[in-house]
Amino acid sequence: MTAALEIQGIRKSFGNKVAIESLDLSIPQGATYGLIGPSGAGKTTAIRMVMSILFPDQGRISVLGQGSALDAKDRIGYLPEERGSYRKMTVGAFLTYIGCLKGRTRAQALGRADRLLGRLGLTDVTAKKCEDLSKGMLQRVQFVAAIVNEPDLLILDEPFSGLDPLSVRLLKEVIAEEHERGATIIFSTHVMAHAEELCQQIVMIHQGRKVLDEPISGLRRQYDTRRIFLEPLDPGANLLALQAVAGVEHVTLNDHGCEIRLHQGTDPASAIRALTAQVAPARIELARIRLEDVFIRLVGEADATESQDALRTHLQGLSQTGAIP
Amino acid sequence: MSLNVRRVGLVAARDYRAAITSRGFLIGLLFMPAMMLLVFLLIPRVMNSRSPQVTGEVAVIDPTLKVTNELERTLTPADIALRRSLEATPSPAPGAAARAGASQGPPIPQFSLVSLPVDTDVQEKKSWLIQSRDAIPRHLAIVVVRPDAVIPHADSGTLGSFDLYTSTRIDDATESTLRTSVRAALVAARLHGSGLDPTTIAKIEQVAQPDSVVVAAEGDHSGSRGIARFLPFACGILVFIGVIMGGQVLMTSTVEEKSSRVIEVLLAAVSPLELMFGKLLGQLGLGLTMTAVYILAALYGLAQFSMAGLLDPMLIVYLLAFYMVTFLVFGSLMMIIGSAVNQMADAQSLMGPVMILLVGSYVMTPIVGQAPNSTFSVAMSFTPFVNTFAMLGRIASNSPPPAWQIWLTLLIGCATAAIVVWFAAKVFKIALLMHGKPPSLGTLIKWARMA
Repeated sequence: MTAALEIQGIRKSFGNKVAIESLDLSIPQGATYGLIGPSGAGKTTAIRMVMSILFPDQGRISVLGQGSALDAKDRIGYLPEERGSYRKMTVGAFLTYIGCLKGRTRAQALGRADRLLGRLGLTDVTAKKCEDLSKGMLQRVQFVAAIVNEPDLLILDEPFSGLDPLSVRLLKEVIAEEHERGATIIFSTHVMAHAEELCQQIVMIHQGRKVLDEPISGLRRQYDTRRIFLEPLDPGANLLALQAVAGVEHVTLNDHGCEIRLHQGTDPASAIRALTAQVAPARIELARIRLEDVFIRLVGEADATESQDALRTHLQGLSQTGAIP
Repeated sequence: MSLNVRRVGLVAARDYRAAITSRGFLIGLLFMPAMMLLVFLLIPRVMNSRSPQVTGEVAVIDPTLKVTNELERTLTPADIALRRSLEATPSPAPGAAARAGASQGPPIPQFSLVSLPVDTDVQEKKSWLIQSRDAIPRHLAIVVVRPDAVIPHADSGTLGSFDLYTSTRIDDATESTLRTSVRAALVAARLHGSGLDPTTIAKIEQVAQPDSVVVAAEGDHSGSRGIARFLPFACGILVFIGVIMGGQVLMTSTVEEKSSRVIEVLLAAVSPLELMFGKLLGQLGLGLTMTAVYILAALYGLAQFSMAGLLDPMLIVYLLAFYMVTFLVFGSLMMIIGSAVNQMADAQSLMGPVMILLVGSYVMTPIVGQAPNSTFSVAMSFTPFVNTFAMLGRIASNSPPPAWQIWLTLLIGCATAAIVVWFAAKVFKIALLMHGKPPSLGTLIKWARMA
């Protein structure tokens, strides 16, 4: 299957600041990818290069089988992080304009815009000027602008920022529908929970470099946390006694019950059976990997490696100058 | 990189519609006629109406005993009005001229003549002119006619003149009217002294200036020096206003798109070049619409006075062609500024050099029109940035340049436009996503190199 997006060894710098370094990425058609990383990691720069708004200093980007997004703009939907609208334009005119720019007829664009606006709870706003809408409403309109052309590739840069929970839920539903329709979805966020919920695969960027490119399922296997939450049926149960159960490394009490940490290599299923035999549970749950934990672990490792590299380089320098033997 | 013409057209159409339906466009459209009305009709009237009629006494010491009688006539309002009308528009009908003269210029002063004895000591009499501000009657001036002002001095054979002492309460216009009246009285007294009739002489001197008749293949039509002088100015102002209006809208809309963050939404759908060309064409269309409205209004106005034939159709063609070239040059420069800054306040410092170039070019148009074939005019019409204005001034003058010069100017204009648009495209591509402090010229060049 042709990749929806193929990035090979791209590099981008602004003056002395390297924003993206040696980034390789291949996203198959129909996939949902989450691009995560802290603010300033290089996510938006990478997306702008994919969109041919910025151009890499080195490397190659292929979008939907084309050598540049410029040749496939009609098939791409893009919701930028810094998004706006024409304040004096009506919502209908704005969405029709964007739809027409992306190769749709006026009737097609207006028809789809109307359907999507209704889906997002924005009926009767077509004739209103953009400046007359609330911030939340305008954000939903901007989201509609991104998908008004029924894109094959949908790129969403921080799509949920500033939205209320209800709007976030609506947007997630529409994103899922777009995915079901067959669109490839890439979205960038620094809120890991959103990525966990929506994505099949996670790409993590830190200081312009890719530090992770794994399916969510693989992450769960790879970064097993070995933690179990237990809430006893009897509030007076002796939870500290669980410390003696085979495979348990440590028990930490909390308001609802306890958190149990297992020894490396312990089978969680056996441990749960042994724990419930000891204390009847009201609720028992194997803690799932959180992206935050993975991120902190990876970034911590990367930072540590960088520090070691820097120290090694420093020591080599000193050795060459004869300062140390 | 290829341009998608459909996308360029869509951007152009949106920008055109947004601008032409705005109140700003209507205000801008009415701005030039309003300014012309102000300059040519209202300001002179306001200036004149603000001058109250001056009433006061003029003392005269006349040792010749012949000038005072003439002064009594030449200082009358009727005589002053007649002289003014003859100076302004020659007319063979004195009655009508007097009425016309009364309505032209500042109000006619009401002078009362006070004849002083011949042996009056002028030095002592000067104190007569020093009064309090509210004193009535106002003592305006003392006219001292020299003894040889009417009959030449026996030795030298030359005629003397007069001395004029004025109060601080007399304004320049009134003093000028007084001088002219005294001069007319002296001339009349001299003519009488020579046995000639001043009325006959005045009639002999009157030659009404006819309007020229331009003979052309399509028929004769009345010519007018006024219109011939006005045409270069009008062409210049048409291009100037069109470029200023279109360029300002272009710059403002780019800044707004950048500051409202809609720019990245647009860049997801069009390339930076498509966006730039679309915007440029949209505002070019706006300027052409405005110019067309003015040209049609001018043709209608001229047709009302049967003078539509004064406008050479080729002048209109050249006007539109030069307008487009000028707009592409200055519009692109303004677009660079719009894309480089984040708010209009930041644009002001970068606008300075562009405005100096544009205003300088415009100011030159009527000057070139006065001497269309001077070395300066020819050189200016081949100098990039100013050439279109200079050539328009020459084409609209009484002595238009040869066709090859016009085409050469157009060629130089197109080449200049191509270079500026190319540079603008490079800067535009980079500057659109740049935020922060406004860039210097060096930064703009750096961005162009980066693109």
